[in-house]
Amino acid sequence: MFFYKKQIYYINILMLLRVIGYLLVIEALFMLIPCLIALIYHEKSLIDFIICAGATGLSGGGMMMLRPRSKDMGKREAILLTGLTWVILSLFGMVPFLLTGTHMSITDAFFETMSGFTTTGASVLNTLDGVPKSILVWRCVVQWIGGLGIILFTLAVVPMLNYSGGMQLFNAEVTGITHDKLRPRVSFTAKSLWAVYIVLTAILIVLLSFSKMGFFDAFCYGLSTMSTGGFSTSDMSIAQWDSLYIKIVMCIFMFLGGVNFALIFNTLTGRSGNPFKNTAFKCYIWIILICYAVFVINLLFQGVHRNWQFFTIDPLFQTISILSSTGITEPDFKEWGSVSIVLLLLMMLMGACAGSTSGGAKIDRFVVLFKFLKNESYKMMHPSTVTTVTINGKGTQSSVVNKTLAFLFLYGVVICVGGLILSLMGLPLSDSFFCALSAISNTGLGTEVTGISENYAMIPDCAKWLLAAIMLIGRLEIFTILIIFTPTFWKK
Amino acid sequence: MKIIIAGAGEVGTHLAKMLSNEDQDIILIDNDQSRLDVIDSNYNLMTWNASTSSISSMRDVGVSNADLYIAVTPYETRNITSCAIAKRLGARKTVARIDNSEFILPDNKAILKNVGVDFLIYPENIAAQEIAVALNHNWARYWGELHNGRLLLIGVKLHGDSILINCKLKDLPVKTHDFHVAAIKRNNETIIPNGNDELLRDDIVYFITTPEHIQEVRDLCGKKKRIVKKALIVGGSPIARRFARLYGEDFHIKIIDNIRENCEYMATLLPNCEIVYGDALDIEVLRENNIYQYDAFLALTDSSETNILSCLTAKEFGVPKTIADVENLQFLSQAENLNIGTTINKKLCASSHIFKILLDADESNSKFLALADAEVAEIQVKPKAKITKAPVKDLKLPVGMTLAALVRGNDIQLVGGNTHIQEGDYVVVFCLSGTIHKIEKWFN
Repeated sequence: MFFYKKQIYYINILMLLRVIGYLLVIEALFMLIPCLIALIYHEKSLIDFIICAGATGLSGGGMMMLRPRSKDMGKREAILLTGLTWVILSLFGMVPFLLTGTHMSITDAFFETMSGFTTTGASVLNTLDGVPKSILVWRCVVQWIGGLGIILFTLAVVPMLNYSGGMQLFNAEVTGITHDKLRPRVSFTAKSLWAVYIVLTAILIVLLSFSKMGFFDAFCYGLSTMSTGGFSTSDMSIAQWDSLYIKIVMCIFMFLGGVNFALIFNTLTGRSGNPFKNTAFKCYIWIILICYAVFVINLLFQGVHRNWQFFTIDPLFQTISILSSTGITEPDFKEWGSVSIVLLLLMMLMGACAGSTSGGAKIDRFVVLFKFLKNESYKMMHPSTVTTVTINGKGTQSSVVNKTLAFLFLYGVVICVGGLILSLMGLPLSDSFFCALSAISNTGLGTEVTGISENYAMIPDCAKWLLAAIMLIGRLEIFTILIIFTPTFWKK
Repeated sequence: MKIIIAGAGEVGTHLAKMLSNEDQDIILIDNDQSRLDVIDSNYNLMTWNASTSSISSMRDVGVSNADLYIAVTPYETRNITSCAIAKRLGARKTVARIDNSEFILPDNKAILKNVGVDFLIYPENIAAQEIAVALNHNWARYWGELHNGRLLLIGVKLHGDSILINCKLKDLPVKTHDFHVAAIKRNNETIIPNGNDELLRDDIVYFITTPEHIQEVRDLCGKKKRIVKKALIVGGSPIARRFARLYGEDFHIKIIDNIRENCEYMATLLPNCEIVYGDALDIEVLRENNIYQYDAFLALTDSSETNILSCLTAKEFGVPKTIADVENLQFLSQAENLNIGTTINKKLCASSHIFKILLDADESNSKFLALADAEVAEIQVKPKAKITKAPVKDLKLPVGMTLAALVRGNDIQLVGGNTHIQEGDYVVVFCLSGTIHKIEKWFN
């Protein structure tokens, strides 16, 4: 006896909307955090946040009520859903910025929210003084949700997605060349990753709240640091405290935010003995050490003197902050000279390990690229040699190399095209490419027009929409978004 | 349950997909990454690229806390070795696929048990047994026995001469409720019927009944009892050889094969059977071998296409019962529509067998037979359950389920409208996939 399931061949839109409904309800729950803050600090924005949470929750709840005929979701649905989710969640997430007293335009609010969800951390707010605390905390919460991925969170908590359709979603959202499954069921994998994330964030918040900053700032910085986003709570950023303790703690956790969470989980649970056998992790550490050394030498030659921290902890903080795509900068970074800027560009491009909350093209891919280049140049001399790229002591298939090369090529294309269009929109040449790189790598820095670590307020509106799109492309690792715009995707 | 499947061949892959849809934790091991890639990105399970007999990779994958280890590579010895290792490393139960009939003899089972293999799967053997069941009950499409044969699940395709056609279920000429229509399969869709559903021509109807009432069901379906004595087999595949070996006494068997060496080998192996060298797709060959005289035609070559086509030819010659081995899953549904009688699939046989082993081991699971979009469950009625409140006809039971039979003590009876279910009964329930939780509420 053998029965076939009826298959639905075109896009299962009801199911898509239903899953998005779940996601919106989850977002509404997260909106309760700023409500609480507003309540504690007696801010007027409380009403606005309650309205937002209610509206989001109700629309989500309404969509959850849909009863699709089939629960099947294929690759097409998964890709579309992932793209749509990030856009729709940003649209709902931007409402608080519109309602409360920050006087943002729709463009600015969308840019700010997308910048948050993608953990870019680029801001259009001229000054953070006078911005309600509830808005500040909402920006950080948005980054924290986006850090590991809202869909991953949904996979962990919605049992309905614990089947092969969920697997597709996992593949579409999680970063990296290959996707490590920690356990056989996708919901367990998602739960394990989120458990690591939550525990690390909690530890960070506790550690920070022992410092000079109060609990509110510790909470915000905890969320935005662990997600390697980098929104801050004041114009002075962390410079206002000038505390060695805060810098060291944040260094450690930005570093952890750049490590593959699967690796952290496996190490903590003792499933894979030595993390230093992981190629990408090893490279990550080496790159940090080398960049740090270059910064220190550069600073010594520059002859800018201030105090001992200026040569020790500051360059390290800067290195990890950029490499992990957090993008919190030292106030006097502009004085560090042009070598630093070049190094900065390279580090932004590189990013940290795949499977972390960081952005960039990911170290894993560069490892594959460089090993491949090494093999190819060796083959120039010894043509009959057979080589493979070895990662974590195992040979990989040539398809992995192909995927990596295709990805890196597209990454370059997006930066070039993005930079080109931005310059057409009237940004200075160097700025336009820098902004494109900064957006795709989810770092969130801008030079000159904006001034490093200053905000994006003065760039034209159309450029903001473009940058928001580039951020999303960078966060979902290009293919997930770009493929939606190809004709083959929509072919029946 | 944590289940590790070694070998991503056809059986392994099919089993992995099936079990992953059953919410089990599945890890699939194979040393060929390309086989794993497709299934890894599409199914909710984990794949592991390693040799199935590598001790270190078995440790990595966590065999020590696996509930079930299933070795289904094509190589018997490798399967046994890997089961032995898995057992030593701490797997609770192990299953190995074998292709040697000696191992399944009761005397020899203990030897394998000592080595560390708990269950054996011999797909050819299961397929041969299934063929024999199909020949003995040749009027039915599907024949399943529950509770050691005291309850039967029979699938019958309704042809023009059945009086059931265009009958509503509530008008069925049933006085005593001797059978129960549990499911209807119509155009690849499964219906769990209620009283207002009609039976149509070409439906496959699944009846639940007891052995005493088989004849009544058969008569209603307009089928005749036919005793199969002579069977013509095309293709000397392992299933054919196993079948001839097991049932050479019961049937008069002739095997046609188009490879001479194969024929010679079978002639020495199977002295009871007639072996013919020839191409079975050639009508002349069939005619020479008096195909008209045979009661059954079994197409068991390695090619599914050949099997389907030669069965159609045999039907034209007027052979009453044809059975085709269709290994290609895509063809299976098509083949069923082609009116070629019973289809056999080794992979499905093996995986459903393993599935049964699994369900027996997992006490939390009340399901005991799973079909792709329908489920059969046996649920025990808890004290003060909602279902005991009134006779079945007065309960407002949800749609998409039917209560088929119940076991009360040693007594098995079919459930009718007036049956009053009591606590402690085991009730056999048919339902559509995914609705079982709704139904369990009624029993708790």
